[in-house]
Amino acid sequence: MHTLEFENVTKSYGHEVVIDDLTFTVQPGRVTGFLGPNGAGKSTAMKVLLDLASADQGRATIGGRRYRETTDPARSVGVVLEPNAFHPGRSGRNHLRVLADGAGIDAARIEEMLESVGLTHAADRHVGGYSLGMRQRLGLAAALLGDPPVLVLDEPGNGLDPQGIRWLRDLLRERAAAGGTVFMSSHILAEVEHLADEIVVLSHGRLVTTGTLAELQQSGTSVRTAAAEPLTQLLTAAGATVHSGAEGELVVRGIGIAEVGDRACAAGIALHELSPRAGSLEELFLDWTSIDPHPDDTTGTTMTTEPERQARTL
Amino acid sequence: MTTRRGLVRGEIRKLTTTKLPWGFLAAIVVIAGLDAAIVAFATDMDGSKAFVATAADQQSLMAFASNAMIGASLFGAIAVAREYGHHTVVPMFLTSPDRTRAVLAQLAAVLMGGALLAFLGQALVVTGVALALPSTDHGFLLSGGDLVRLFAATTFAGAIGAGFGAGLAALIRNTGGAVTTAFLVLFVIPPLAAQMFSEAGSWIPNALFAVISGVSADVSLWAALLTVGAWAVVPAAAGLVAVQRRDVV
Repeated sequence: MHTLEFENVTKSYGHEVVIDDLTFTVQPGRVTGFLGPNGAGKSTAMKVLLDLASADQGRATIGGRRYRETTDPARSVGVVLEPNAFHPGRSGRNHLRVLADGAGIDAARIEEMLESVGLTHAADRHVGGYSLGMRQRLGLAAALLGDPPVLVLDEPGNGLDPQGIRWLRDLLRERAAAGGTVFMSSHILAEVEHLADEIVVLSHGRLVTTGTLAELQQSGTSVRTAAAEPLTQLLTAAGATVHSGAEGELVVRGIGIAEVGDRACAAGIALHELSPRAGSLEELFLDWTSIDPHPDDTTGTTMTTEPERQARTL
Repeated sequence: MTTRRGLVRGEIRKLTTTKLPWGFLAAIVVIAGLDAAIVAFATDMDGSKAFVATAADQQSLMAFASNAMIGASLFGAIAVAREYGHHTVVPMFLTSPDRTRAVLAQLAAVLMGGALLAFLGQALVVTGVALALPSTDHGFLLSGGDLVRLFAATTFAGAIGAGFGAGLAALIRNTGGAVTTAFLVLFVIPPLAAQMFSEAGSWIPNALFAVISGVSADVSLWAALLTVGAWAVVPAAAGLVAVQRRDVV
């Protein structure tokens, strides 16, 4: 089985810590979305996984092995990483031929992949004349050339038209259903919401949360009280994120529903409603990534969702 | 399965599927044309064609090795540095995470490309001169042995130059920087060194390739071959080490 594992991975460039003690697992048979704001460290984490960048500490493995130990990389891991990793003066077909030569893949597979991504008509044109979507399709064709069981994709939906997005969604679902490991970063939250079984969220290089999307979406609490302000302060100090909902209720994430009730009770705050609340991925994402991932020790304001606790104890 | 042979084939395909080699070939055609024009139309101060009167003169005129090294160094520098510029180094190292193997395959392809371009350049120069000589009172005087030596020296120079440029590019990872450095190291530093230290004059690429081409005998052939070889080996080895240690960003 091809599980991807990050174990205490830390990576710095100069004095800037880009990834900080990152630990999580990506399971086969699932589509795992990798989320985070720009500069959160997603691409760097993928580069560490693929041995394009070396970790300062920790290790990232694919099926228990470093990428560089993979004997047949093209048939093991398909990668879309750099959106423009093509020579603009080379044709799409020749780009794939170069990769197929290096990986010892039969030339017939090139035509198959061009057909599959809908690029046959443009295969002999220079990549420099391709649109972003066409380059993305070519990148996907390259990733799938060796029919690998693991896919590591950085923003694979970028520039794709709705048909392309649909095709990609079906493809990734199919791969995961066949037992493959699909690990993809994306900024298109609605797409991730449709596609991902699990998500991993980074912010400022640190793991914010990870878990099953369905569970995480249920992890909020809706609270009604006359003492909204003191309760907000109380829960925020306990590490929760609190914001006002559309109907004047407080939406609390980061601590469990029981803890919300217990803390309010201990503080003598009367609650008029305390109920579980589902949230959209966008709402959750904004909550997760608005948390300061480097809290100073005195305030202790850290995100402490159950999935995160689980992740940190891996 | 990723094999050395497959990697080299892929690298050769990279070189042959862009306009880069055609650009260099066009430059070589121009140089060969200029050589032919010189033979056909230029004269010595006294109005004679004494500069092509003897076999040694003709061999000196047709010796292309030094130019081949400079041209091939630019070819090697551009071929490798553009991999970083276009980020095609990412799929290269994904296909072969063993970077030593990937870089050696790339070097092998670039060396072959440089050698082939140099060989073609020498062939065009010889052909141009041979075609121009009938317009003078002198015939083509080079023996088969002379020609073999010229071609061998130039092909070797092409490979060395390409290795030198490729090594610099792997270190610098920027096309402009690699080309400028190759140009400075081959064009500016050797004459300066020769001016500052008179004995250095025999060890600069121009002088060494004159020895290898059979045009001069300032140093022994083996010493010239080894010294010229070092021009490629040192930057290529440094590039290889740098590639191992650096992140691909």
